[in-house]
Amino acid sequence: MAYYFGLLQTIGIHTLLGLSAYILLLTGQLSLAQVGFFAIGAYVSGILTVIFEYHIVPGLFAGALAGGFFAFLVGFPALRIKGLMLVVATIAFSEIVRLFFFNLNWRVMVNGVEVGPDSTQGFREIRFYAANGWDTLDVVLFIWLFVILIMAMLWWLDRVRAGATLRAVGADELAAQSSGVNIVAVKVAAMTFGGVIAGLAGGLYAHSATYVDHLTFSVLLATFAVAYPILGGLSSVFGTLIAVIFIQGVLIEGMRFLGDWRNIFFGLLIIVAMNFRPAGLLDGNVVAQILRIVGRGKGSDGERHA
Amino acid sequence: MAIDFIDVVQAIIDGLLFGSTYALIGLGFTLIFGAMHKLNLAYAASAIAGAYVGLAVILMSGLPIVLTFVLGPVAGGFIGFGVYITCFRYMPATNMLAPLMASIGALFFIDEIIIHATAGSPLAFPAVMDDVFLEVGEYGFRGDLIFVLVTSLIAMLVLLYVLFGTRLGLATRAVSQQVVAAELCGIASHRTNATTFAITGVLGGLAGCMAAAAVGVISPLLTVPITVKGLIVTVIGGLGSIPGAIVAGFAVGGFENLFLLLFGVNQRDIYVFLLLFVFLVFRPNGLFGKAINRD
Repeated sequence: MAYYFGLLQTIGIHTLLGLSAYILLLTGQLSLAQVGFFAIGAYVSGILTVIFEYHIVPGLFAGALAGGFFAFLVGFPALRIKGLMLVVATIAFSEIVRLFFFNLNWRVMVNGVEVGPDSTQGFREIRFYAANGWDTLDVVLFIWLFVILIMAMLWWLDRVRAGATLRAVGADELAAQSSGVNIVAVKVAAMTFGGVIAGLAGGLYAHSATYVDHLTFSVLLATFAVAYPILGGLSSVFGTLIAVIFIQGVLIEGMRFLGDWRNIFFGLLIIVAMNFRPAGLLDGNVVAQILRIVGRGKGSDGERHA
Repeated sequence: MAIDFIDVVQAIIDGLLFGSTYALIGLGFTLIFGAMHKLNLAYAASAIAGAYVGLAVILMSGLPIVLTFVLGPVAGGFIGFGVYITCFRYMPATNMLAPLMASIGALFFIDEIIIHATAGSPLAFPAVMDDVFLEVGEYGFRGDLIFVLVTSLIAMLVLLYVLFGTRLGLATRAVSQQVVAAELCGIASHRTNATTFAITGVLGGLAGCMAAAAVGVISPLLTVPITVKGLIVTVIGGLGSIPGAIVAGFAVGGFENLFLLLFGVNQRDIYVFLLLFVFLVFRPNGLFGKAINRD
């Protein structure tokens, strides 16, 4: 059972990470900086709960704010560029963050034990859950509380004017601008919100892994973060969730029996999936069909993002 | 340790020589971007894979070791063509994300194939002329790096000839300017794009061989750093700009080695990335990029 709880934690955290990239993808921006915000959230909340002995809730909150703050800062210079330049700039940002934590050494004595980030050795002592008697089920529920909260917020966002504005910028910047949308404000807002979600996910990750080091926050994880929403499709928040369950649950955990070959299949499956479903597994048509089956579909917005 | 002026100049010389491989990788990214306005993230992986295939054929057949530098690029060309067919050929033209994601899949796939074939351990790669050491005054030039530089320069000249001196190059440039107009003139755009991918693949295979020869070993761990450095070169040079990629490749190589000397191996890349940000803020179109860069 502990194994499945562990898997549920991973799926929850990766869903949050994917959603942080999803909101930016809605505005048409592909950012590989999410892993940078994730790392910032992980280290900030870890440092707060370990070195300053905060409770986890303010720790996570601070981690999320730190992620959002840096996303806000990155948002402005990144707006001078777009598309592929942004991809490169955000890779560079994530790598700078990773190398910063790679070089960060801040060991402190807390209650007679030396704790804190130890540069190349990583940050090992993030044991809030164990120290406060939370069992694995509590942790799973705690993580999924945030996942449901964020998903509900994004789902609601798609049903109000703000969501339409985001998608308008994504569909055609020039047209959105001529309709009076302030695209700079929209992009910075999306970037900041994405940074908050990634920071939150990072804090949750640090506490359920109890150990973080710079290797975790690689370009590979950054590509996973954007892979979830792209594979899942941008028509609905559930696309990201489905992609995470598909990748983490089916491909990575379900195919362990394939051993070494699993990783080879993984790349191949991404190629096949993109060739056959270029707009994602859960694209506009599928969403429209599901809504029709459920009985409240309008059937007209099916081609929205196909 | 006090850092002398000589050390600084020597570091920059070594870096400039090694930078020629970055220039080749940057050229590949920039050519594909110029042709299709899409990013092929599997490019550096196929470059390394080309070098691997070249090395494997040589090791298995017992041919002269220098032929690695011929077979590697040939294999790179085939891999580049394969990436085009699997990740770009059948994608909707307006969808930017799907081919990008597919090329990431190809990156994973190629990397994992290499890891599977070599059991994850790095292989020694033959260096050419590594017993030569040229001394000019107080400065030295490593023979293997001179070989890398000269070969890269020849490759660049050949590429420039192909692009600006042949009908194929004319077709490539026409497709990159305006696909529809090029097709109306009777140019088969898919075939031209496939050729562009094959040519950049050859270039990549050569760059992969050069980088591995200069480092002395070849390992799948090289792919991500080379991808990132190649992208940085492309952006600093200006997306789609050929002279930009060449100049930026040498510049990034030189600066990288200078930062290595000044800040050590752990912090070197931080300063390379900061250099990139300086360019993004002050010259967002790169050194030679066009002012209007719609993508």
